[in-house]
Amino acid sequence: MSNRLWTEEAVRLHEMFVAGKVSCEEIVQDHLEHLAAVDPGIGAFLHVAADQALAQAKEADRWSTEERQMRPLSGVPIAVKDNIVTQRMPTTAASRMLEKFYAPYNATVVEKLYAAGGILMGKTNLDEFAMGSSTEHSAFHPTRNPWQRDRVPGGSSGGSAAAVAAGMVPIALGSDTGGSIRQPAAYCGIVGMKPTYGRVSRYGLIAFASSLDQIGPMARTVRDAALLYHVIEGPDARDATSLPLTASPPTRSGPWRIGVPREYFQEGIDPRVGDVIDRYLRRLSDAGHEIRDLSLPHTRYAVATYYLIAPAEASSNLARYDGVRYGFRCDARDLVSLYERTRDEGFGPEVKRRILLGTHALSSGYYDAYYLTAQKVRTLIRQDFDAAFNAVDFVVAPTTPDVAFRFGERDDDPLKMYLGDIYTVTANLAGLPAISLPAGWVDGLPVGVQWMARPLFDNALLDAAQAAEALMPPFQFPQEVRE
Amino acid sequence: MSEAFDVIIGLEVHVELKTASKLFCCCSTAFGAPPNSQTCPVCLGLPGVLPVPNSEAIRLAVRSALALNCQVRPFSKFDRKQYFYPDLPKAYQISQYDQPLAEFGWVTIHPSGEEAKRVGIRRIHLEEDAGKLNHLGQRLGDAVGSLVDLNRAGVPLIEIVSEPDMRSAEEARLYLTELRAVLSYLDVSDLRMEEGSLRCDANVSLRPHGYQGSLEELPRVEIKNVNSIRNVQRGIEYEVVRQADMLKRGERIVRETRGFDDSTGRTYSQRSKEEAHDYRYFPEPDLPPLRLSPEWIEAQRTALPLLPDAIRRDLRSRGIPDKDVEVLVLDREAYEYWKDAAQAFSDDRLIVNWMLSDVSRLIHLRGETFATATVRPAQLVELLKLIQEGTLSGRMAKDVLEAMFETGQDAQALVKQKGLSQITDEEALMQVVNQVLETHRHVVADYLSGKEKALAYLVGQVMKLTRGQAKPDLVNRLIKEAISGSQAVSS
Amino acid sequence: MGLTDHEIQHVARLARLRLTADELPVIRRDLNRVLEYVSQLQTLDLANVEPTMHVVKSETPLRHDQVEPSLPVLEATRNAAQVEEGMFKVPRIMDSEGGGAGE
Ligand SMILES: [Mg+2]
Ligand SMILES: [Zn+2]
Repeated sequence: MSNRLWTEEAVRLHEMFVAGKVSCEEIVQDHLEHLAAVDPGIGAFLHVAADQALAQAKEADRWSTEERQMRPLSGVPIAVKDNIVTQRMPTTAASRMLEKFYAPYNATVVEKLYAAGGILMGKTNLDEFAMGSSTEHSAFHPTRNPWQRDRVPGGSSGGSAAAVAAGMVPIALGSDTGGSIRQPAAYCGIVGMKPTYGRVSRYGLIAFASSLDQIGPMARTVRDAALLYHVIEGPDARDATSLPLTASPPTRSGPWRIGVPREYFQEGIDPRVGDVIDRYLRRLSDAGHEIRDLSLPHTRYAVATYYLIAPAEASSNLARYDGVRYGFRCDARDLVSLYERTRDEGFGPEVKRRILLGTHALSSGYYDAYYLTAQKVRTLIRQDFDAAFNAVDFVVAPTTPDVAFRFGERDDDPLKMYLGDIYTVTANLAGLPAISLPAGWVDGLPVGVQWMARPLFDNALLDAAQAAEALMPPFQFPQEVRE
Repeated sequence: MSEAFDVIIGLEVHVELKTASKLFCCCSTAFGAPPNSQTCPVCLGLPGVLPVPNSEAIRLAVRSALALNCQVRPFSKFDRKQYFYPDLPKAYQISQYDQPLAEFGWVTIHPSGEEAKRVGIRRIHLEEDAGKLNHLGQRLGDAVGSLVDLNRAGVPLIEIVSEPDMRSAEEARLYLTELRAVLSYLDVSDLRMEEGSLRCDANVSLRPHGYQGSLEELPRVEIKNVNSIRNVQRGIEYEVVRQADMLKRGERIVRETRGFDDSTGRTYSQRSKEEAHDYRYFPEPDLPPLRLSPEWIEAQRTALPLLPDAIRRDLRSRGIPDKDVEVLVLDREAYEYWKDAAQAFSDDRLIVNWMLSDVSRLIHLRGETFATATVRPAQLVELLKLIQEGTLSGRMAKDVLEAMFETGQDAQALVKQKGLSQITDEEALMQVVNQVLETHRHVVADYLSGKEKALAYLVGQVMKLTRGQAKPDLVNRLIKEAISGSQAVSS
Repeated sequence: MGLTDHEIQHVARLARLRLTADELPVIRRDLNRVLEYVSQLQTLDLANVEPTMHVVKSETPLRHDQVEPSLPVLEATRNAAQVEEGMFKVPRIMDSEGGGAGE
């Protein structure tokens, strides 16, 4: 067996385990040791479930070869973003509000992970209630970027991204409302996919913006991301927005018509990032794919649209945290004080800011001008993509306009932070699948490229991403975690 | 009305639907379980949960809407109605706002001595119920705290919003009574106001004669959650007087919500609408729209049972008096009882007479209803047949009915067992005697003129009519008494 | 046309958040920056555009009316700070609070 099991891909770990070359306990033990060694300097996890993971591993070791084969994640350690509900571990959403919360149920995706034989290693850090792009807004501690520790890993799935990039787990679940899987994947140099809205059940995902939220896989390779995606996808009777199983649309093996939206290279992009993407596109073109310039004219309205819809839905979804049935509670002598003090002390400033914004956007006299208007612009953004996908197979663009920024750099102005989401929010608004892949480097920091496909073309997207991945050098771990 | 204003009343009625499970989760809806024993992550509003609508709730709601003459929308959507209150776990109620399930219906009411009148139904929408608060203390105001039971949270409701078409408390009562009757025939709800499965809020305003503005702009008082139809009527009556007095004194009526105090018969202010909620409605992102095919809606219409107005027509055509028709129609159990009986018995009126007098008296005495009555319709029919064929007199039948209720036995068995029959019943036998005397006047005359044999002949005739089952000496005595009695009268 | 402190306090009250006097200026600045930014949407002609309330799916599925076991009361109330007689306890509700069943 390899004595550096933590460096292996999920697909490889599973193969080795099925073949009996290594025990699940050895795999888990090795990852736990690596995690214990590197996480103190990174802070990816909020909760490490070492005992449960080892118990699960020992049970898996008793399985027959057939059983191991039948379970696509047997032998594979996984981390779960802490806004996904788990029955046997705390679920905090990185909020003081849920610091001591134990859910009496599992999210559908968690049930699927267990059924697939996956080993749940613990819960990863995020911006409180997934509201943020840096994982600085966790109520407990920030997570550091494994490549440069004075920089953010991105967010809100920064814990999952950092854990995967640093080799603590080969794969992890994140959630993506406006880029929260793809942006940290880009900042940490890994693969992160947001599936078509409805492809993965949201039951048990702590709601941020219900019409935009989607759970997705994070991994170091596309085939690992695909492995995890195929375990969690599918309809769920508990989620009325989950999609019925439809036959996968036929996949063209390429060469593809690749659309490059010019709006994604305009104001605000770091020119060094632009250069990386240009070089990446040249590789695609050299590989025989057709690169086409195209326009998604309503892209410039996407952030404004997003920052009306998401806070409006969030203000509603977060109203239930009142200190009565669960979660943080401030003592008070009357009901209104109970509510106000509990919510004042239980929520962090960014969450409160968004609740206020969203409450205002839905309040009497403003609904039409704000929420309804935003949902109409959302239609225009969707129509942009519909038109684009009539002409091309995939849209390819930078995932972010920049590389990972330093802690505190975007604290003073929330608008500056929000504008960083410009390239990712469109996929959420249009409901389409998108994946961020490593595309190159700027000063030792990873740059991500985003592939988008039309809704329901998740498999086609993964196939294309895997083919494109072969054009790039394989993943290397950051120096500091290699020892 | 000699007053200087019209009374304008609109009602909002909440009806809990009779499903096995809640509207958006699989918890039971059974009434009376220990607190919070019928809750799950969904109806507790735990982080991460999502709603999935119950198809049966939708069927029952559509059924109700069609029976109330509404147009059912093939496309409707769910919305969130947001407010903070401890009985509302998610801090929003999933309801329907601008595109409700059904619209434009009506209920016909029949005010006594007046023509039938239509009360419009503006809309019917589906929503989830809230939980129940138990206040620690006498009243909300002086309670030290409250305990929240979420068993009821998520139970399916329809809200039926009337047009402001009612002009008196009596009309409001008739509307509620009729609405409840219609719903009772549909089997969609328990309709128990005391258990909260039927609740009513009444909006009351006074429109001065000559008022030109819209009804919406009239200051309106909402009387909330009154627990019986009678009290809705009382609350409105009180409110009309109160507002009229204010108008007379030149005071301004404020838009507010008022409660009703059963013991005093008065309404009292709860909260003024000036500081009304901003419910921040928006489309429920967790639920795509509800689509119902026109074919399915039509199939629901076809499956509707006979409803009160059709039942009224049918009963009247059978010669049942209007007063009795109303009693039957408004009590579905009574109507079903009558219907079962009428299938096996030709005299519809006789059934109704017995049901609404003796049967009714006995079931009330025994705490039964027509649905649970010990004596079933077929058994009543058997008793009525004994009367019809002359075996029992009405007087005896009453006794037999009582015995039937007490013992649960059939009429035949009781008659046999107790040796009861026309024959030992003087009153009944007297009828036969009178009949014989009437048809044999000349024989009576013979007897009176001293022919003793004539008496034997008369006795023989009575014995013949009673198939030899009467006691001859009793018949003898009764004939003598009858003849001497009639003599006394004529002399 | 930014929000005034009074309007922000109204919104905070709706959201059951309590804002202190020293939080208010920062909140006002941040909110008004975002609101000014989003006001660009007003320049679009949206007269003939339908809103996208549900991005992929256009019809809700329904479930069968089947009862499944609920949580044991102890599980249902386990995360609550104050429980009495199997119920969630809340402090005194002032008359003005309103709310109430099945509004
Ligand atoms: Mg209602
Ligand atoms: Zn439930």
